[in-house]
Amino acid sequence: MTKLVQIFSSRRTWAWPYVLFMALFVVLPLILVGYYALTDIGGHFTLRNFAKFFTHSEAIQTFLYSLMIAVFNTIICLLIGYPAAYIMAQEDFKTPKVMAMLFILPMWINFLLRTVATVELFNMCGLPLGEGALLFGLCYDYLPFMIYPIYNTLQKMDNSLVEAAQDLGANRWQSFWKVIVPLSMPGVYSGIVMVFMPTVSTFAIAELLTHNNIKLFGSLIQDYITTTDLLNYGAVLSLVLLIIIGLTSFFGDHDSEGEGGLV
Amino acid sequence: MKRLKLIALVVLGFLGILVSPLSAQSNLTYELKVGTTGDNTLLQEFPENYAGEKVNIKVQCTAYNVQRADSLDFVFANEGTEALRSWGDSVYNYSDESGIKWTVWRSRKEIKNRTKRVLAGNAYATFEQYLHEELDVRRNHGWIWWVFAGVIFVAVVIYGVVLIIRRSKEKNLSAVEQEILRRKRLGMRRHYGSQLYLWVLLLVLYAPIALIAVFSFTKSKILGNWTGFSMDLYVNLFSGRADAGLNSAIWYTVVIALVAALCSTILGTLAAIGIYNMRSRHRKMVTFLNSVPMINPDIITGISLFLLFVALGMSQGLATVCIAHVVFCTPYVVLSVLPRLSRMNPNTYEAALDLGATPAQALRMVMLPELWPGMLSGFILALTLSVDDFGVTFFTKGSGGLETLSTFIYSDARKGGLTPELRPLFTIILLVMLVALIIINIRNTKQQND
Repeated sequence: MTKLVQIFSSRRTWAWPYVLFMALFVVLPLILVGYYALTDIGGHFTLRNFAKFFTHSEAIQTFLYSLMIAVFNTIICLLIGYPAAYIMAQEDFKTPKVMAMLFILPMWINFLLRTVATVELFNMCGLPLGEGALLFGLCYDYLPFMIYPIYNTLQKMDNSLVEAAQDLGANRWQSFWKVIVPLSMPGVYSGIVMVFMPTVSTFAIAELLTHNNIKLFGSLIQDYITTTDLLNYGAVLSLVLLIIIGLTSFFGDHDSEGEGGLV
Repeated sequence: MKRLKLIALVVLGFLGILVSPLSAQSNLTYELKVGTTGDNTLLQEFPENYAGEKVNIKVQCTAYNVQRADSLDFVFANEGTEALRSWGDSVYNYSDESGIKWTVWRSRKEIKNRTKRVLAGNAYATFEQYLHEELDVRRNHGWIWWVFAGVIFVAVVIYGVVLIIRRSKEKNLSAVEQEILRRKRLGMRRHYGSQLYLWVLLLVLYAPIALIAVFSFTKSKILGNWTGFSMDLYVNLFSGRADAGLNSAIWYTVVIALVAALCSTILGTLAAIGIYNMRSRHRKMVTFLNSVPMINPDIITGISLFLLFVALGMSQGLATVCIAHVVFCTPYVVLSVLPRLSRMNPNTYEAALDLGATPAQALRMVMLPELWPGMLSGFILALTLSVDDFGVTFFTKGSGGLETLSTFIYSDARKGGLTPELRPLFTIILLVMLVALIIINIRNTKQQND
């Protein structure tokens, strides 16, 4: 009895419920994805699902297309977001906090509603829905994820380094490319990861933005996983996505000392 | 202050541009032809002749310089006609001049293909209005581009004139003075150029949201059709006269968010205390575990939990959604409590135990007051994450008709239209967020000044 009391008064054990909870609802489900991918409907081991993926041209094409869209979106977000973050981090910029909040505020409006409103905006302006609208909508949804980490690193950067570079004879352009950009790379990395990962796994909004004309990988997974007979094949597709996510977060793991991040 | 006024002016101008030309909207012309006869038969005449038969109507519509032509299949049925299932859905009711009540039926297959929401019952005053929504006729706002082009053109012209005037004035200055002026101006141009960039970006970011806000003040069912100023949608929202699905979605969202945030705050705080006191090897492992749901995109979290519930044979509903939300909320609570712990003196808890407090007392009276701010921010974060979530909810809500706001909007949008009351709802949410932002900002500047 005293031993039991001792166990509970040791604060180390207070994390046990959480660890148990995580094991049951995070680790086990991820293992289950693998299990379902390797079995058929009857629960027997099979590799047929994987074989189906490699011969299923629609899935492969959608997958590559989604990757391409995600890469494009990340590049666009970087090209638009970096200057914005850079401007906000300048010393003579008076209200950086307000501006940063203004960029984040739209995220409090439900992203589906924003997407629908974007569609309506395109309709109003007489612009066609399609790839352009898709890229606009994705960029619109994920731009804050790019701006915020870059802004954070730029803001924490020691400005005397830039001054030193200028004292040593670098012009604005040189000091930007040789000092500021390398120093802001951690923020850029985490920005890229934070935009790329949700974009590659996005579902639901692509159909809205393209009038059901373009299907992304996420929607494909959704279609298969919600169909009872094809659940196992859906698990294979999820596994493919999981691998991409794992690779991205592995290569993008430059987030030392909490450089970026929205939280 | 000057800048604030300028911003206000720009915002007002932007809203004005959106609203003003929309007020005149009613010059629609329809030519209804009964396909079977080919005559220009008027609408009031043909139901009597074709009651219970499938009628194909060729609709031509010219509105706002947009030509739309379509042919639609209808069945007109009066009280004497026996309704058949094969007709499809009844989409519109009206009474003709002689007081006979008519129901208009529409092929269900066609409605599905169109993915356009058609409201049943007496939602439309006239048949034309019904067709108007059916055809999805809306104003072409191509003129917006001309406004943009015009504004840019005028700005360029003004800038050019200013430059010419300036040149002529500075002709008789010395070379040194001219160089000084030039450098000064270069700095200013850079400054205003970067300001302009940010504001244009914000304008684009907020344009869709402004659209929602502006059109929350009109009754029209389609977002983008202005039918005059009205507060009806707000009244509907608060008096519960909005779509029943929307009302239940709001309640479910609130309940799920509160339950999930509360559970994850308790679980996460305990976990944070535990993690903080662990040996470093274990701590690393648990923190890694903690980061997994944050890295996982919501579709993966949703699908993996969906598979778990399927494997366990759990029926999906409120409970599973709550569990799923706790899964992705708790890591954020842990992360917001941990920094408070490292700031705290680790000996106070032991001191309390030595002085005779039970662990529960020590937790309540020593730890909680210190951890409170971290727990609160974790709770708020969990609330917003839960309210905003779509992916995880979508896969764990089951098929029992449980909808949160996100999934409700999704199924609504898939049908082709938004429940109009969503517009005032999100306008209010945006306003609340804006006010909170301003309050936090004022408080921060005050603290800095003190």
